Amino acid sequence: MNASKMPPKGRKGGSDPVGGAAERLAEIVGAAERAAAAVIDDAEKQAQGRIDEAQERADRIAADRLRAIADELDPPSAGGEERPRLRTVEAVPEPAESAAPAGPRSDEAGARLLATQMAVSGASRKEIENRLRAGAGIEDPAPLLDAILGPEE
Amino acid sequence: MNLTELQGLEERYLMGTYRRGEVEFVRGEGAMLWDSDGKEYLDLLAGISVCSVGHCHPDVVEAIREQSGRLMHTSNLFYTEPMVRLAERLSESSLGGRVFFANSGTEANECAIKIARKHAHRRGVSSPAIISFERDFHGRTYGSLSATPGLAANPALGPMLEGFRSVPFDDADALRDAVDGQTAAVLIEPIQGEAGIYPLSEDSLIAAREACDAVGALLILDEIQTGVGRTGSLWAYEQTPVRPDVLTSAKALGGGMAIGACITNEAAGAVLEPGDHGSTFAGGPVASAAALAVLDIVDDPVLLRAVRERGRRLREGLEALDGVREVRGRGLMIGVGLEEGLDSAAITVDLLGRGAVVNAPEPRTLRLLPPLTIDDSQADRAIALIGESLLSYKP
Repeated sequence: MNASKMPPKGRKGGSDPVGGAAERLAEIVGAAERAAAAVIDDAEKQAQGRIDEAQERADRIAADRLRAIADELDPPSAGGEERPRLRTVEAVPEPAESAAPAGPRSDEAGARLLATQMAVSGASRKEIENRLRAGAGIEDPAPLLDAILGPEE
Repeated sequence: MNLTELQGLEERYLMGTYRRGEVEFVRGEGAMLWDSDGKEYLDLLAGISVCSVGHCHPDVVEAIREQSGRLMHTSNLFYTEPMVRLAERLSESSLGGRVFFANSGTEANECAIKIARKHAHRRGVSSPAIISFERDFHGRTYGSLSATPGLAANPALGPMLEGFRSVPFDDADALRDAVDGQTAAVLIEPIQGEAGIYPLSEDSLIAAREACDAVGALLILDEIQTGVGRTGSLWAYEQTPVRPDVLTSAKALGGGMAIGACITNEAAGAVLEPGDHGSTFAGGPVASAAALAVLDIVDDPVLLRAVRERGRRLREGLEALDGVREVRGRGLMIGVGLEEGLDSAAITVDLLGRGAVVNAPEPRTLRLLPPLTIDDSQADRAIALIGESLLSYKP
């Protein structure tokens, strides 16, 4: 394990506790925001994957319907000489079985992570609320705050 | 029967797999235990994170009493409501897929390993490998044991299962390098528990997720110790940007009843089919009813906030003690790193004498996993007792 990945060492006397706590909180908020951005990127990738899958499914349905129409207009010969047939759209391959599941909406997941990490690091309800409004664009953070912190005391 | 007589019978009739503390506990309530002489103890271990809602929580006791008076067991050949309701609750609170119930953490991991291998075979993988971190602990049955590098290295227990590899703890680059087309899964703990409470960095968790996604492997998080509120959120992964495909739970889930669960996302939940896996006892109505009662208590933002606050109080108090080098962990999962010259095993015995129960997972670490319901005065008492003990041993 390299030193930068070691858990933070215990801090004892000598330093300014208020300044130190503020600095730690700022670091944690920064890290939480970076992590939230990663979640948002990930969710967007997953969402794009879902759109692609849906498009492929739609293509397959269209191909099946075109094939059915083609068969109606130009039925395959029953055992006789093979006749040229109307060309149908090729079906695309099945999507990969291990496609990632859709997660929650990207903004919601990112905001939830940000709020959870701030709560774990000791931020107050007001601090989390302000960050959700200003940093994550959440207009009404109350339901999320209640879910993570419980009802306001 | 006194303690000496119990020890005599143990010597004769029990396999010598444990070194037990020299005390017989006869009663528990909340964060307190009492021994056969009536002496009181502050329990800072909660049966290794099992009694997370405290000893004999009245809601859990009532759920067990009510269910055991009605129906205790039918096997998995039939339906019982508590099991199905518990599966719904676990799925909806985490990955949204399906649940396989087990009787312990190691069995939950066995199920996860089986899912990973079958999932890999479907991808066309011929020699599926499961990758873990060094010092991870996933259990003592042979699949989980093979994924526990420290124990798997014991030649007397060999041979281990094939297809298990490990990389240095928290080395994101090594993990990325180790994952390839033959990888079935990365199976890791978000915070190493048995090793001494070592949180995994976000870098490593993200590396694990990305590496699995790149080859189609599954990411399995072992939340047997971190889950069910221990770290201040219901699941530890909720505090990270990473969502696993599979997570395993046990310990605190049953509040003292033996139950484990392997919980999946939607895709991984479809891997196992009839005949692939099973268990006679798992998901039984009594254990499931107890687990539902536990989740009613723990899956509550007010309790989880208290876990975070109490955890901070304990960590700050412990950091200020003479003899403490560092304090690790999250929520009420705490590792106390001791200074050179202090022996955690000796301090654990000393603390037992002073009326506090802790554990020594490694020579210079005390592990604290108190009930999540511990209050401020009990937290302060814990700090005071540990401080006194450390002072008495300080060279």
